[in-house]
Amino acid sequence: MSERFAKVRTLLAVYFAYMLEYRAEIVFWILGGLVPFFFMAAWSEAARQGYTAYTPLQYARYFFAVFIARQLSVVWANWTFSDWVRTGKLSFHLLQPLDPAWRIFADHVAERGVRLPLLLLIGLVFALLFPGALVWPGWTPLLLGLAASTLAFLLSFLVAYAVGLLSFWFEDATEIFELWYVLVLFFSGMLAPLSLYPEAVQRVLLWTPFPHLVYLPASYWSGLESPDPRGFAVLGAWTLAFFAAVRLLWWLGRRRYSAMGA
Amino acid sequence: MRYLRLIGIFWAASAAARMEYRAAFAVSIVAAFVETGGKLFGVYLFYTSGYDLGGWRWQEALLVLGLAQMVDAFFVLIFQPNLRRISEMVQDGTLDFVLLKPVDSQFWMSVQQVGVVGLPYLALALGVVGYAGAASGLSVVGWLVLAVAAAGALLLAYALAFLFATTSIWFVKIFNVVFFLSSMIWSAQYPVQAYARPFRLFLTFVLPVYFMTTAPAELALGRATGGASWAIFLVALGLFALSRAFWRFALRFYTSASS
Repeated sequence: MSERFAKVRTLLAVYFAYMLEYRAEIVFWILGGLVPFFFMAAWSEAARQGYTAYTPLQYARYFFAVFIARQLSVVWANWTFSDWVRTGKLSFHLLQPLDPAWRIFADHVAERGVRLPLLLLIGLVFALLFPGALVWPGWTPLLLGLAASTLAFLLSFLVAYAVGLLSFWFEDATEIFELWYVLVLFFSGMLAPLSLYPEAVQRVLLWTPFPHLVYLPASYWSGLESPDPRGFAVLGAWTLAFFAAVRLLWWLGRRRYSAMGA
Repeated sequence: MRYLRLIGIFWAASAAARMEYRAAFAVSIVAAFVETGGKLFGVYLFYTSGYDLGGWRWQEALLVLGLAQMVDAFFVLIFQPNLRRISEMVQDGTLDFVLLKPVDSQFWMSVQQVGVVGLPYLALALGVVGYAGAASGLSVVGWLVLAVAAAGALLLAYALAFLFATTSIWFVKIFNVVFFLSSMIWSAQYPVQAYARPFRLFLTFVLPVYFMTTAPAELALGRATGGASWAIFLVALGLFALSRAFWRFALRFYTSASS
């Protein structure tokens, strides 16, 4: 047990140090994630002119929550793994008595450590620019939202890792992740609160993982609409499905791996 | 002329190399359809709630969206694959080889690669522009103005991207800067009039997103009031000149790998 604990601590410490080196990149990465605020600007203008059910302040709160939810579930496992397969770096990791998934996972978790303080800073700026937009959601919604967003991160990670594993078959699988990425972009509630989507679309989306990745935590945090706890079940089911897919692809893929030039 | 021939050679080689990854190209076609559909859906959501994005008819708003997609497609097609290499070459010190070639180094750095996965997306963007222009009843003059203004918008986008990427001479690993810029261009999907006032000012004067899509659409539709929209050409040429000057300035600080 203590040996396992030492492994975890070492991995996290190493990747945290790596990530600190890239802090400038992470800053620009976060700034690139400011996109939801454009939708906020358009929707709150619509609200100011009296077109939608919510107030500009509610929109500000909602889209800030969307921003945070998206930031906490950023993943790039597909890219790293694809790179390892293509360049043959995977061979070294295969020699160690540790599933390489854990390295990539530690990489992601450690990066949150660098990202979090920066997010707090952005939150502070946001609170100053939009006074009254940020209110304390209360402990229960805050923690439930965090639970939802942690589950969302796990699912996103597993999807990205599964796509990365596809590199065993297709040299360049990163493009496949693009498909997942655009679906999340449009059906997670970033364009507008999901409650403004047509009824039929909402009903279909409920069964897909997309709205629960962002809209579920965001509605806990912003209190715009009452959150739908069924989202946890849907997220959990998809997470299990992708976990199984990852294990299967890993098992099948290792047989195909021939390293560089072999 | 010589430069046009060079572009032909570069792109043929680069496209041939990328065509090795046919599966990626196939997926990018599907992704392009999903993305275009999603963006149209985003505009649709505003119109169903009754908000007309600050006084634009549906088909006129689509013209702006189509132009934004076109700029976006050029990021995938040309800007990103080339500009990420500036940072790579500074890291490896291979920029020396480019500087030694008897070709303008900015030209070489800007057109050497082509990201073919952007092609389906560009085709759909042109489709949206074509549909929106026809539905808004553009005259022949309108189409011509649109074509010229769109070229201006692309030049502007290129100059901005190149300016950002040039900073990698100092900061080395700065690829995310180009990612940052391309995500800022998300704001170009809607006419600037759709945004609350502080954002509108920001998108005109700080980040010239207004000139990328709203201004060309205004010029083509004849909704331009005053000279503001015409300034697109000034801004584009000005930024292009600036990008050239800045590149030459930055090269003075480039110290290759071992020196």
